[in-house]
Amino acid sequence: MADLVLDHLTIQYGDVKAVDDVSISVASGEFLTLLGPSGCGKSTTLFSIAGLNKATSGSIRMGDKVLFDGATNTFVPPEHRNIGLVFQSYALWPHMTVAENLAFPLKLRRLGKTERDERIAEALKLVEMTRYADRYPYELSGGQQQRVALARALVYRPSLLLLDEPLSNLDAKLRERARVWLRELQERLNVTTIYVTHDQAEALAVSDRIAVMSMGHLRQLGTPKEIYERPADSFVADFIGSSNFLAGRMVQQEASHAVVELKNGTRLRTAPGQARSDGSLVVAIRPERIEIVPELCENSFLAEIGTGTYLGSIYQYHVTIADTELRIQTARELPPGPVHLRIPPEATAVYAEAPGEY
Amino acid sequence: MTDLSVQREGMPVIDRSRLIFWGVAILTAVLVISPLAPIIVQAFLDRPLYMSDAGLTLDNFARLFREAGMLGIFLNTLYFAVLTMAVAQVFGAVMAVIIGRTNLPGRQWIGEIFVWPLFVSNLVIAFGWFTMYGPSGFITLAVRSWIGVEPWNLYSLTGMGVVAGLSQAPLAYLMCLGAVTKADAQLESAARSVGAGPFRALWSVTVPMMRPALIYSAVLNFVIGIEMLAIPLLFGGPSGIQTVTTFLYDQGINAAVRPEYGIVGAAAIILLMLVAFLVWLQGFLMKGSGRFVTVRGKASRPSVLDLGRWRWALFALVFAFVFLTIIAIFAGIFLRSAVTFLTPLVPFWKLLTTANFEMIFSSANYVRSIVNSVVIALVGGLIGTAFVALIALVARRSEFRFARPLEYLALFPRALPGIIAGLGFFYAVVWVPGLDLIRGTIWILMLAFILRYIPIGFGAIAPALSQVGDELDKGARIAGADWLTTVSRIVLPILKPALFSCFALLFIHFFKEYVTAAFLFQPGSEIIGTTMLQLVAQGDNGPVSALATIQVIITAVFVFLARRLLGARIYG
Repeated sequence: MADLVLDHLTIQYGDVKAVDDVSISVASGEFLTLLGPSGCGKSTTLFSIAGLNKATSGSIRMGDKVLFDGATNTFVPPEHRNIGLVFQSYALWPHMTVAENLAFPLKLRRLGKTERDERIAEALKLVEMTRYADRYPYELSGGQQQRVALARALVYRPSLLLLDEPLSNLDAKLRERARVWLRELQERLNVTTIYVTHDQAEALAVSDRIAVMSMGHLRQLGTPKEIYERPADSFVADFIGSSNFLAGRMVQQEASHAVVELKNGTRLRTAPGQARSDGSLVVAIRPERIEIVPELCENSFLAEIGTGTYLGSIYQYHVTIADTELRIQTARELPPGPVHLRIPPEATAVYAEAPGEY
Repeated sequence: MTDLSVQREGMPVIDRSRLIFWGVAILTAVLVISPLAPIIVQAFLDRPLYMSDAGLTLDNFARLFREAGMLGIFLNTLYFAVLTMAVAQVFGAVMAVIIGRTNLPGRQWIGEIFVWPLFVSNLVIAFGWFTMYGPSGFITLAVRSWIGVEPWNLYSLTGMGVVAGLSQAPLAYLMCLGAVTKADAQLESAARSVGAGPFRALWSVTVPMMRPALIYSAVLNFVIGIEMLAIPLLFGGPSGIQTVTTFLYDQGINAAVRPEYGIVGAAAIILLMLVAFLVWLQGFLMKGSGRFVTVRGKASRPSVLDLGRWRWALFALVFAFVFLTIIAIFAGIFLRSAVTFLTPLVPFWKLLTTANFEMIFSSANYVRSIVNSVVIALVGGLIGTAFVALIALVARRSEFRFARPLEYLALFPRALPGIIAGLGFFYAVVWVPGLDLIRGTIWILMLAFILRYIPIGFGAIAPALSQVGDELDKGARIAGADWLTTVSRIVLPILKPALFSCFALLFIHFFKEYVTAAFLFQPGSEIIGTTMLQLVAQGDNGPVSALATIQVIITAVFVFLARRLLGARIYG
C-alpha cells in the first residue's frame, strides 16, 4: 500500500475550472475526506483519481506509479489502476447476484474458482452479508446494497478505496451507525481511503484528515479538530459548523491580540488576524461560544433576546449586537428580555474576506 | 489488508476497444456514403457514371426542369405528402386520446387493430384498398349498385392522399399515445384541483403535451408521403398522375431502354435535399420541447375519462372507422386470394379456388421470393441488430473521440428515401470495381436494408440504453474491465429486452420492404415485395393477393412469437 499524491491537479471543462490547482498527499492507511458544498469539485477530483475522467494538468501518483501526468500526457485507464470505488448509487449490476457482482472483478483478474469463492466469502463476511450471496440487488434494502457495494470494491484488495457519498441514500439513523461501522472496517483493513461527502458531521466523525473544497479550490487541509477550531478562512468557518460574522475595521494589531472597531463604533478585543489593505475585516464567532454574563464587562454587550428555535438538545436565539443579527446557542431556555452577552477574544477569528467574497 | 493485491498484467499494446470504435465508425461511414456518392456524382455527369468518357455538367438539372410536366410532378408530390400528413395526424391524434384516455368499450383490441397497417408494407395496404375501394372494388361496386353512383375516386391525388394518410395514422397514433398515457397524472390532478372539469383538464393540460409527438410524427409522415412509391404507383399509374418517386421508378426501371441516368440523378438529389431539409426541420422544431416533457420519475397512470351515455355511440363510430379502413382492407386481401373473381354480385363461396396459391407455390421464382424475404429478414435482422447495438454503444457509451459524429452519421439514413438508397446502391455496384461480386444477390439487398433501417434500430436501443445508469459501466471499468468486456458483460445483458425489440422491428421492416429493393434485385434475388410489384404491373390480382396473404400470415406468426418468446415490444 503506497501513498497517493495529487500534484497541482487542474480539471477544466471549457472555461470552467472544476478543480483548480489542488495538491494533496494521502499517507498509506489514511482516511481522507474531501468535503465541500455541491459543485465544489470534490467528486470530480475523486473520479479523476479513479481514471473515470481525465484531468487537464498536474499529476496523480500512487507510490512510484504515475496514474496521470498532464506534462507527459500519461493516462492509465481506470481498469489498470486497481482502485476500489463505491458509488453514491452503489452501481450494483442488476442482472448479477451479490456473489456474481463480487466474482466479476476476480474473474477479470483470472483467479481460480476456489480462490474466488474464498475471497467472496471473506468479503461478504467482512460486511456481514454472507446470508445474501444469492440475492439479486433489487431484493436488498438500501443499507444492504451499500454493504455489497463496499464488499465489491474491497474483494480484489485494491491499493486505494474511493467512496463517493456512499451513505447519502441511507436514512439519518442508519447513516450514523454506518459511518461508525465504516470507519472501524477501514481501520481494521488499514486501506488508504478517500471519502467524498457534503455532510460535515460525517466528515468530522470519520476522517483522519479533511480537505475542505470550494469552487474547485482546496481551502484547508487538516485534522477534524484543526478544521473546526482553526478554520483557515471565513468560508471554512462558515461551512464547518456555523459561524456569526461581524464586519469591522482593524484598530490595533498585536502579536497576542487585535482590537476591532465594529460598524456602530463599539470596540472588540479579538484573536490576532489579518485585515484587508483598507483595514476592513470580519470577525467570526461560533454561536455556542458566545457567553451570557451577569453584568457588563470587557467585550460584552447588552442585547435583546429575539426569536428562538428549539433544536432538541439546545436552544438557538437570534440577538442583535452592533446592528448585526447573531445566533447564539444555549443549553437552557432564556426568558425574553435584555441579556448581557460576552464574546470571548480567544473564541474569535479574524479574516480579511467575508464568506462568499472570494 | 496486507499487500496481497492481485496485480493486473500490463497494458496491451493494441487497445482492442479502440479497434472496434474505428471499425464501427468506418463501416458506418462506408455504408452511408456508398449510395450517396454515386448519385451525387451521377447528377453532374453527362453520361452514365460507369463510362470512362463521362464529363462534368450541370445540364442534368436544366434538362430536368425543362422536362414537360416536371413542375406538375413536384406539385403532385407536395400535395400528396401534405394530405398524407394531415389525414394521418388528425386520425392518429384523435384515436390516441380516445384509446388512451377514455373508457370506450373494447379500446384494448381496437387499439391493437389500429396499428396493424404498420406491420405490412404499404404495397399490401394499397392493394387492399384497390381490391375494396378501387373503381371495380368490392365495396365500390356494392355501393354503386345500391345508390347508383360511384361515391369516390381512388385514382385521384386526393384519393391517394387519404389512403396514404390512413395507412400512416398508426404512426402518429403510437407517438401521441405515448404522450397522453405517460403524462404525469399529477399534472391533470393539479388542473382538477384549481377547478377544471375532467374534459377541460385533458384538453388544456394533456392535449398540448402531445405537441412534440405531433410535430415529430407530422414531419415523419410528411417525409414518408414524399418518398412513398406503392400508393402513387398503384392509383396514379392508371390515371397518369406522377409523383417524384414514380417518376424515378419509371425512369430507373426503363433505364435499359432509354438510359436517363443524369436526369434520374438530378431528381434524386432534389428529393434528397428536400427530405434532408425536413429531417433538419424536425430537429429544429423539437428544440426546447423540454417544456413538454411529460415523463417524470414516478409512474402513475392518468385517470380514465368517463364518456357516460356517449360511450356506445362513440364505440359505433370508432368501430365503423376501424372496420372500414383496416379490417375490410385485410379481409379484402384474404378474400381475393381465395376466389377467382371478387364481386358483390356473386356470393364469394361460389367462386372459391386454391388456384392463386397453387400458382405461387408451383413457381420456383415465387417460392424463392418468399424464402429470400424470410432469409433477409432473419439474417439481416440479426446482423443489423448486432451492428446497431455496436453503433449505439460506441456513440453513447464510449470514450471514442468521434462518438457524437458517429451518431449523426448513423441517423442520417432517416433523410435517405428508400428509392434513393436503392438507386444509389445500384449505381455503386455498377461503379465500384469488386462490388460486382454481390450484385444481384440477396446480400446487396441486406446491406441496403440494414443501412436504411439503422435509425429504426437505434430508436429501439437508445432509449433503453439511457435507462442504464452509466455508473454501472464505470463500476465495471474500475473493477478492472476494459470497454469491450464492460459492454459485453454488463451493458448488453441488461439491454437484452431492447435488443429483442430491435431485432423484431428490423425483421418486420426488412420483411415488408420493397422500394429499396426495386432497383437492386435480379432473377434469383427477388423478394416478396418486388415480385408483388411485378405481378401488380401485369394485373395478376389473384396471385398478388395470395402473396400478400402469405406475407401477412408470416408477419403475424412472427409478431406473435416475438412477443411471446422474446418479450419484444413491437408497436406497444
